[in-house]
Parts: sequence; C-alpha cells; structure tokens
Amino acid sequence: MAVTQQKPTNLDDNEEEEEAGAVAVSTHSPLHGDVLDLTLSHVPLVDLVHAARVSRSWSLAVSSSLRHFRKPKPWLLVHYQSTRSPHVVSTRAYDPRSLVWMDMEVGPGRRQPPAKLASALRSSHSTLLYGVSPARLSFSSDPLHLTWRHASPPSAWRVDPVVALVGSRLVVAGGACDFEDDPLSVEVYDLQAHTWSVCASMPAPLKDTSASVWLSVATDRRRMYVMEKLTGATHAFDPEVGAWLGPYDLRPDHGVFYSVIGFAGDRLVVVGLLGNSEDVKGVKLWGSIAVGADELEEICEMPEELVKELKDDSCRVSSISMCSRGDFVFVCSNSKPEIVFWCEREDASGVWRWGTARDPAARGRSLGQRVAYTCAEVGIGELREAAATGNGRFVVMEGR
Amino acid sequence: MASSRKITLRSSDGESFEVEEAVAVESQTIKHMIEDDCADNAIPLPNVTSKILAKVIEYCKKHVDASKAEDRVNDEDLKAWDAAFIKVDQVDQATLFDLILAANYLNIKSLLDLTCQTVADMIKGNLFPVRNEWLNFTFSIANRELVLVCLTEWVAHRRLFCS
Repeated sequence: MAVTQQKPTNLDDNEEEEEAGAVAVSTHSPLHGDVLDLTLSHVPLVDLVHAARVSRSWSLAVSSSLRHFRKPKPWLLVHYQSTRSPHVVSTRAYDPRSLVWMDMEVGPGRRQPPAKLASALRSSHSTLLYGVSPARLSFSSDPLHLTWRHASPPSAWRVDPVVALVGSRLVVAGGACDFEDDPLSVEVYDLQAHTWSVCASMPAPLKDTSASVWLSVATDRRRMYVMEKLTGATHAFDPEVGAWLGPYDLRPDHGVFYSVIGFAGDRLVVVGLLGNSEDVKGVKLWGSIAVGADELEEICEMPEELVKELKDDSCRVSSISMCSRGDFVFVCSNSKPEIVFWCEREDASGVWRWGTARDPAARGRSLGQRVAYTCAEVGIGELREAAATGNGRFVVMEGR
Repeated sequence: MASSRKITLRSSDGESFEVEEAVAVESQTIKHMIEDDCADNAIPLPNVTSKILAKVIEYCKKHVDASKAEDRVNDEDLKAWDAAFIKVDQVDQATLFDLILAANYLNIKSLLDLTCQTVADMIKGNLFPVRNEWLNFTFSIANRELVLVCLTEWVAHRRLFCS
C-alpha cells in the first residue's frame, strides 16, 4: 500500500484556515465535492453512519450524497422465529440501495426482548410486528422493531386474528376460537387510554375466513382494509367510527386467483397471481388511480423469466406475502424464501420495474422457523439511534 | 463519416496520444468537443497527466473492443479485466484518485463507477466508530489502508467535530 504523499506543510495550511474561521471545505484531500459524494453513493448505508463521523466535510458529503446521488430506499426486514422453545427471534435486513443483506445484532442494552416473545410472531400491513397470546398482546411499529409495547389481551380468546395499527388504535378482528360466541368480533385498543372497546363485528361473508392466514391487511391513516386473498373481496374498517365499509371489488382482472393488498406511499396497491396455483401464468401489480379512489389501474407486469423463478420445482406457488413502503413493493413466496421479488418506481421516469434479490442464507435459516416480513424506511437517523441506544446494530454478511 | 478517424489527445505535460474516434468518444466530454467541431487539431486535456491518460486510453480501448465482439461471452471476462486493471497493487492510491478525477473530468461513466466503487469498498469496513467517553463524542478513525483519504481529513478538521 502506498505511503501517504501528503506533506506536513499541508497540515500547517489547514491550521491557518481553521484559525481564520474559514468554512471547512477540504481541498487537500483528493476526494471532495461531487466526486466524494459520488464515491459515498457506492457505500452501503450501514457504513455511511460511520463515514459521516470522520469529519464535518464528510458529514456534509454523506447528507449531500444521500440527497442527490443515491437516495435511501426502504429496507425489507425478515424476522425468523424458532418454532422450538425459547422461540428466539432473529432478523435479517435487505438494503436495495446498496444491494446488501445484513444480520441484525442485538445489543445487551435491549430492554424489551422480543427474542422471548411467548407467541407466534406475525406481521401486518408492512409495518407492524405482533404476537397475541392469552396473557398479552405484544406489538412493535417502529421502523427497526426495537421498541416493543405490551397490552392486556383482548377479551375474546383469539388464535389467529387480524391485527392492525390505525393511528393510535390497535384493531383486533376475527380469528376467534371456536368456543367464543362471536367468531367475527372486533375489538379496538386505544393506545393512549389503554382500554379495549368492542366494535361492530366483521361482515358476515368473512365468517369462514376471518383468520389472518386468509386475509391480507393494509392500513392508511384512517382505515384498515382487509382483502380475502382467494376471492379478492375487500372490506374497510374505520376504528374512529367503529363501522365497516364495502365490500369493494379490487380485482380488475378476473384471471387473478390470489391477491394481496398494501399501500405504496399514499396509493393502494394490489399484487395478483394469474392462472391457478398449479400453473401461475403471471404476476401483476395494480394501483389505485388516485389517492382514496377504489378503482385500480395496472402498473406493472412481472417479466416471464421472473415468474418462472417464482414457481418452485413442481411449478406450484402456494402463497405470497407483500410489503410495501414509498416507491417500493416487495413480494416473497413462502415456498421459496431465498428469493425476494421487488417492484420499484424509478424517480426520473415514474416507470415501475421488477427485479429480484437472492439471499443464499435464507433456505437454511428458514427450516424450522416461522418467518414474518416487514418493510421500513431506514435512514442514517434510524441506524444511529439503534446503535446509540445499544438496541441494534446491522452487520453486513460476508460476501453479497 | 469514416469510423476509423484518428483523434489526437494532448495531456497536461505536452504528450500526444493518437486514438481511434470510437475509443475517444467513450468520453462524453471529448464526444461533445468533436461534435462542436473543436477537434481538428489535438484536443488539449489540461487536467490529465500523460501517465493517467495512458491508463484511461487503455481502459477505453478494452471496452470498445469488448462491445464489438459477442456480448455474453465477454461480460465475465470484462469484469475480470476491470478488477485486474484497478487492483490496488497495480494502481497505487494516488493513481486511483487521479483516475477518479480524470474519469469525472472526461465524463466516462463506467470508469467513474469502477473507480468510485473501488474507493467505496476501501471505505466500508475500514472505518471504526470510536467513542471518546471524556469528551462525549463519537468519531471515526480509519485503519492504515485508508490513511490518504481519511486521516488527513481527521487531523485537519479535528477541532470541528460535532457529536
């Protein structure tokens, strides 16, 4: 490695600059300005946290690089929970900006370990992780799921309910045990008052499909949307009023046999599988025409070679899950955990395109584990906070 | 226009290089100069020394040749060639930074991406967060390999840290 060629006199120049109160623009380092910003755009976000601490000019360069050269993109978080006691939870993350997979290391400072969650870990509407047990309801909605809150359990005994966080209210619907009177009962937990209240039950057509395994959930600021994955029938629930709305037909193409719902930014999006489960012919992404409208237009169709990768060896696709934030939609197939499909809206042209990301460690990891997916908008601030509070640190896997 | 037209490039230290037009226009800067008809005599490149210009021309030649042959076969080979071209034993740090500046000035996107990625790889994994408990701030230091880039920054601006 070459020895530094900078001569001591340069340092003297810098001293003079500092004393004169000059702005800290370094012209002595060969990397500065646009070129430094461009170089930093190739550095993964996890390392930019440290790069921003090298000096003030680098701190400015990191901000500038993230704003002008390569913006942060939403991360996909894959949570694995062991099906054996003590049901430890571990997390992997994918950063599409830098194309790296990371393992999340939990610091000793973590106070509320979901690592010991005493119930099945599930995710809802891309941003919520929760576990429901007869003893309590635990949930986390911050981007990196480092803070967990616990609430008293809902009064009905529920095995696999639909859970959603709408504003400051947690909605728990359906999934009630056979012994309960009303399998479609809905309860809402007020996060500020810490109280449960019973609301209007789920619509009757959902009688046999009220568990979260049959329903795809999405939320915007005011409502929870619930879509039956196999029929596409969608209902909406407004927790402030406590009333159900709908049904809406969100399947513009009748060749769809399986669909899931989500929000990308302010826009409602639907991912649908065409054909049948033995022979999937295509995958399409639809989005609402305008904010708040319930009519959908086709956004993007998955290219054939990617659809082939989605099918497993026997060409079946059993189920898919979707996470979406901002201009990104992630689609994962439960039978092929090692591939993640994404659809991104390109800034410049506004055009959406599909791609894949492979996690070679996923197949081995997912054996004997329950998997839940969430999506988070992670920036330098979130990573810094996670490291500072000792709650979590992301470590890049060796090799990509 | 004949595709084998020769263009002369003159480096900052007065050396002339004759290259085919197809190779020269890998640089968007030179391409615009040619289109604006400033290329009858030699094109002066006051920001690029002969040592660096020679390497840039070597890179452009290889990439132009690669795109002529069949794409699929050469993708892997080209990547391997790029890796060898930029390997840090072959190219010392100062040359690497000069190449970045030259690629930026000449506007050769692929070379700029290659060189920036190389430096980015040096940066990531070479920065260590250090917490100074007494002064209650956190800064980063670089290990020996990144001395030229980071240490001068750190030493020069050590008074201007924010936590």
